[in-house]
Amino acid sequence: MAATTESVKADAKEAPLLNKRNLFAGLMLYLVFYVWVRWYEGIYGWSAGLDSFAPEFETYWMNFLYIELVLEVLTASILWGYIWKTRDRKVMSITPREELRRHFTHWTWLVMYGWAIYWGASYFTEQDGTWHQTIVRDTDFTPSHIIEFYLAYPIYIITGVSAFLYAKTRLPTYQQGLHLMYTISVIGPFMILPNVGLNEWGHTFWFMEEIFVAPLHYGFVFFGWATLAILGVVNTEVTAISKLLKKDLA
Amino acid sequence: MSASQSAVRSRAEAVQVSRTFDWMILFTLFTAVLGGYHIHYMLTGGDWDFWTDWKDRRLWVTVAPIVSITFPAAVQACLWWRYRLPIGATICVVALMLGEWINRYLNFWGWTYFPVNFCFPSNLIPGAIVLDVILMLGGSMTLTAVVGGLAWGLLFYPGNWPIIAPLHVPVEYNGMMMTLADLQGYHYVRTGTPEYIRMVEKGTLRTFGKDVAPVSAFFSGFVSIIIYFLWHFFGKWFAKTDFIADDEL
Repeated sequence: MAATTESVKADAKEAPLLNKRNLFAGLMLYLVFYVWVRWYEGIYGWSAGLDSFAPEFETYWMNFLYIELVLEVLTASILWGYIWKTRDRKVMSITPREELRRHFTHWTWLVMYGWAIYWGASYFTEQDGTWHQTIVRDTDFTPSHIIEFYLAYPIYIITGVSAFLYAKTRLPTYQQGLHLMYTISVIGPFMILPNVGLNEWGHTFWFMEEIFVAPLHYGFVFFGWATLAILGVVNTEVTAISKLLKKDLA
Repeated sequence: MSASQSAVRSRAEAVQVSRTFDWMILFTLFTAVLGGYHIHYMLTGGDWDFWTDWKDRRLWVTVAPIVSITFPAAVQACLWWRYRLPIGATICVVALMLGEWINRYLNFWGWTYFPVNFCFPSNLIPGAIVLDVILMLGGSMTLTAVVGGLAWGLLFYPGNWPIIAPLHVPVEYNGMMMTLADLQGYHYVRTGTPEYIRMVEKGTLRTFGKDVAPVSAFFSGFVSIIIYFLWHFFGKWFAKTDFIADDEL
């Protein structure tokens, strides 16, 4: 009887395999934040974002840019530093249940990565197309670029690298070396950000949005293909999780 | 860890864990593919997809299928060959179209006020279903590439016809003959689309509703076959699970 009570207590204390509250909170965090960003664009894009030489452009857009860049560097440093600093130095000796729990946490990160990629590569990138078809650009730092290139892209980079670091520091599956497709799925979309350098350089010569499919934009396309490397991550994860559950599902 | 220990406490828990992972994997795959496919498509065929006056019967019909068969072929290469899931093409296209429709409503219309009947996306769903069904029934990459790839190109225009037909009706405006879609473009001025850059409806077969669309679709299907082969192998490569050993880094 005593042993049973102890066992029940131990179960009650144990953390859940999947922390659904964290998963939901993460998804809502990005959703609410980006809805606010879209509201800001709607209001201040038109009222303060049409002329980069106007004083209100500096107030509402350049200051937005400076603040977001500082916050992104701080967030990346703290988050990546924390994940690395608290790494498990005995990762190969964890129990199967703990490993399963960590796979769930890892997948919470990956869900967030996919969600962040959607906002960055789909929502704010195509949005940029319609802004350029409406407003004559007179700066590299148009309102749509300040959101797309310097906010949404860094957010998915921070999220993706965090997922990669979590896997590398806490899961036995990733201790055999560097997972090629995981690396590509993080580095490829990351390279879209440095490719902005090529893009903006080209735009100092030409007004490219006459054709959105202009070859100058193909760097984005090439690195966008790297998101397909998530297939390799899925395959590795399915194999690892199947091993953990195999005899119970047989 | 001990091989004799179990990660779960019952078969029921194992099933629940497995189902939960299924949903998390599906969500991540869906959103990541959406992002990658969308940035690829908007920057290789986007202009033809954005505006009705670019949705002509020659270049739109040619370009859109060729550049859009890429991700479906790659994802099929993983989902069918590893999991026997015949949904690779459809999941890609549904993801892409969801992303596009959200954008056209909330941004093209919601931010910059282009009416939705001027900037709705092309419909790719019929071709995607056929591509998946051919792979499922045939179980052959070669058959899917040749028959499915050709069908992908041929079905594109008929799949969009009910939507675009009312806008391809000829009208006379200021003494010139043009389509209703061209008239939309004439009225909704875009700073990035001045008249001199217009490429639509230029050529020797430019009569209303004659040979241009089927010939373009046939050519598009031909190139789609080749692109399918290429991207199928890309997909297989991206599905690899290889590690690079630490001492090789």
